[in-house]
Amino acid sequence: MFKYILKRIGISLLILLGVSFILYVLLRCMPTDFVELKVLNLTQTSNTGVTDELIAKMYETYGLDGNIVEGYFNWLTNVAHFDFGTSFISQRPVLDEVFNADRLGTSFFVAAIATVFEFLIAIPLGITAATHQYSVRDYVVTVFVLIGISLPSFFFGQMLKDIFANKLGWFPVSGMKDAGITYANAGEALLDYLRHMFLPILTVVVLSIGGRMRMTRTNMLEVLNSDYIRTARAKGLKEGKVIYKHAFRNTMIPVVTGLAGLIPSLFSGAMITESVFDLTGIGSYALNAMQQGDIPVIMTYNMFLAFLSVTGVLLADLMYGIVDPRVKLA
Amino acid sequence: MSEIKKSEKHYLTGKEVREIAKANQKEMRRLEKAKKRKIPQSEYTTEMKDEKNILEVENLHSYFFTDQGVVKAVNGVTFNIPANSTVGVVGESGCGKSVTSMSIMRLLQGPSGQIVDGSIRFKVSDFKRDEKGRFIPVYEKDENGDVIFENVLDSKGAPKLDKEGNPIVKPKQLLDANGIGVFEQEETVFDIAKMPIKEMYRLRGRQMAMVFQEPMTSLNPVFTIGNQLDEVTLLHVPGATNEFAKKRSIEMLNLVGIAMPERVYASFPHELSGGMRQRVMIAMALAGEPRLIIADEPTTALDVTIQAQILDLFNDLKNKINSSILLITHDLGVIAEMADYVVVMYAGRIIEQGTASEIFHNPCHPYTQGLQKSKPTMKSSGEKLFNIPGNVPNPVNMPNNCYFKERCSKCEGKCSGEYPAMVQVSPTHFVACHLYDNKED
Repeated sequence: MFKYILKRIGISLLILLGVSFILYVLLRCMPTDFVELKVLNLTQTSNTGVTDELIAKMYETYGLDGNIVEGYFNWLTNVAHFDFGTSFISQRPVLDEVFNADRLGTSFFVAAIATVFEFLIAIPLGITAATHQYSVRDYVVTVFVLIGISLPSFFFGQMLKDIFANKLGWFPVSGMKDAGITYANAGEALLDYLRHMFLPILTVVVLSIGGRMRMTRTNMLEVLNSDYIRTARAKGLKEGKVIYKHAFRNTMIPVVTGLAGLIPSLFSGAMITESVFDLTGIGSYALNAMQQGDIPVIMTYNMFLAFLSVTGVLLADLMYGIVDPRVKLA
Repeated sequence: MSEIKKSEKHYLTGKEVREIAKANQKEMRRLEKAKKRKIPQSEYTTEMKDEKNILEVENLHSYFFTDQGVVKAVNGVTFNIPANSTVGVVGESGCGKSVTSMSIMRLLQGPSGQIVDGSIRFKVSDFKRDEKGRFIPVYEKDENGDVIFENVLDSKGAPKLDKEGNPIVKPKQLLDANGIGVFEQEETVFDIAKMPIKEMYRLRGRQMAMVFQEPMTSLNPVFTIGNQLDEVTLLHVPGATNEFAKKRSIEMLNLVGIAMPERVYASFPHELSGGMRQRVMIAMALAGEPRLIIADEPTTALDVTIQAQILDLFNDLKNKINSSILLITHDLGVIAEMADYVVVMYAGRIIEQGTASEIFHNPCHPYTQGLQKSKPTMKSSGEKLFNIPGNVPNPVNMPNNCYFKERCSKCEGKCSGEYPAMVQVSPTHFVACHLYDNKED
C-alpha cells in the first residue's frame, strides 16, 4: 500500500512537469502578450512615442524575450527555489496575490458550502427518484433538476439578483460587504458576509445539483435491479434497510470517482458567478489575469489546480480500495 | 398457414403501442395501489383447503405489462405443496417456472410485473402479538405452573427498588439452549397474494426462503459473507446478539459443507468460487429455518460434480429442519432424484401433475413425453437426440386453444377447440390434454 502510494506520487510529479511545460508553451504562444497590451495602452495615453528600445527593454524585464524553452527552464528553476515570481499587473509576489483570504478564501468558502448542500440535496433526491421510478415524484424531480442543468449561470445569477436583491431587497446586490459599514462585533460582520454570499452559493448549488442527482438516480436504478438486492429482499429485510444498506454502498462506488473532480473544483472558483456578483474570488481574478497575459499568476494558479487534480485522482483511487472490496491496490 | 405468417410478421403501429401503454398504465397503477394499501390482518388471513399442505397455489395469474402487450407469464396455475415434501416444477425456458416462484415470494419487479388474480395460501407459525404489535414472551414456570418472577437489575447489577424500597420484579422469560428468549407462536394461514407488500418481511427469510439461480451475482459484493449471513439471524430471531448470530452463521456454513467456515465467514463474495457461493446462498436460506425453501434452478450455474453435492445437501437438510422444498428446474434428472411430486408447466400453465413415479413411468401429455425423450441416455448412443420441434409460442395474445397444438405430434381436430380442462388419470395424476377427455367418464 505504502509502496503503491509512493509510486503514484512519483508518477504524479512527472505528470505535473509535463503539464507545466505544455501550459507555459501555450501561454507564450498566445496571440497577445502582456507587453503588447501595455505598449498599446502607452501609445494611446502618452504623447511621446514608444521607441523600439523601450519595447525590447520591457520584454527583457518581464522575461518574455528569448525562446520559449529557455523561458520555461528559467521559470522551473525559480519555482524549484520556491520563487513563483511577481504578478505583471500588480507587481506583488504571486503567492500573496493568489493565496489570500479574499481570493482563494472567498472561492473556497462559496464552493465548500455549495458542495455540502449539493450532496445533501442531490443524493436523497436521486434516491427517491430511483426508488419511485416513473412516479409523479420522479418526474417532478427530474424536470426541476433538468431546468437547473440547462440554465446558464450568468442568466440564473442575474435572475436571482433581480428578484431577490433589486425587487425584494432581501439580499445585497453584489460585492463582499456593505459599503462604508463598520461592524459592532465579529458576529455582525459574519452575518453581513453570509448575506452577501447567499445568492452566489444558491446559484452554484442549483446549477450543480442536476448532474449529481442524475448520476445518483442512474446508479441507484442499476443497483436496485441487481440480483443481490433481490436476495436482500428475499431475506426479509425491510425496504428501508434494503435501500440504505445494501443498495446505498454500491451506489456510492461510482460517486467516489467524482471525488477526483471535486477537490480542484473546490479551489478553482466559479468564474462567471463571481463576476456576476462582483466577488473578489480566484475565478474572476484568474480570468482577468488570463485576458491580460499575466503569465506568473496563470502559471501558479493552473499549476495549483493541476496539483489538486492529481491529488484528487490519487485520493479517488485510494477511496475505491476502501469502498469496493473487489479493488485491490498494489 | 398464410394467416399465421401474417400474424407473426405483424409489427405494432405507434397508435397500438400507445393504446397498450395507456391500458397498462391504468392496470399497473391499480395493482400498485392495492399492493401498498393498509389492510387489517384479518383481510388476508384464510384457511387451508387441506390441512396436510403448507402451501396451496390456486388459479394464480402473474402478468407482465409490457409495451408489446400483456405477457401472461403465469396463467392460472394451481398446485399444492404438502408438508415435508419436495415438489418439482419442470418446463423449458420461459414457461413461467421462475415467475411462479417469484410470485410466491412476492418478488416480481413492479410496476410491470404483477400478481393479477388467484390466491397463494401459506401456513406459517407467526409470532403472537399483543395489541401494540409486540411479541408476547413465554414465561418460565415452576412445578406448580406459576410464573417465576425475577428482580429487575440496574446497570450495576444490583436489584432496582421502587419508592417504598421493595425490589421491582418482572416475570422471567423462558430462554432456549442458546440463551435467547422464547416468544409465543401461533399457526396462521396467510393469503400471500392479498398481503400488503410491506408485511411480506414477516414471511420472507423466516417462513419461506429462496435460493436463486445465479450464485455469482446474488451476493452483495461490498459486504462480507458473515455480514450477510448474520443479517438473517439478527432479523428473524428476536433478541439475537451479534455473537449468537456469528455462532449460528458459522454453524450454517458447516452444515452446507464448507470446509473452513471461519475463513469464509470473513471473506467477500468475490473471493469464493461459484459452488461456494451457492452453498452460502443455501446457508442463508436455511439460517431462518424456513418451512418452505424455494430453489430456483439451484444447480444450473454449477458443474456436475458440485450439482450432485448440492442436491444431496438439499435432501439432507429437508430432513434435518423438516421443511418442504419447491424445486424449479429444467433438468429431469434432478427432478427424478429429488422430487416427490412433479408439476409440468408449459407457456404459463400446468399441463400435467402427479407423483414423481407417475410422471416418469406414465407420462400422459405429449409434451411431457417429448421432454423425457429429449433427455440423453447411455442407451441412445449413436442415435440422433429427440427434440420437440418449434419454440414456446409468443406469450402475448395467446389463443384459447391448447398452447402446445402447433408442436404436438398427436394433434387432432379437437385441439383447435377450447383449452383442454384438467383430466384426472389417477387419484394424484392430472393432465390437460384432449387425448384423455373421454377417460374421465
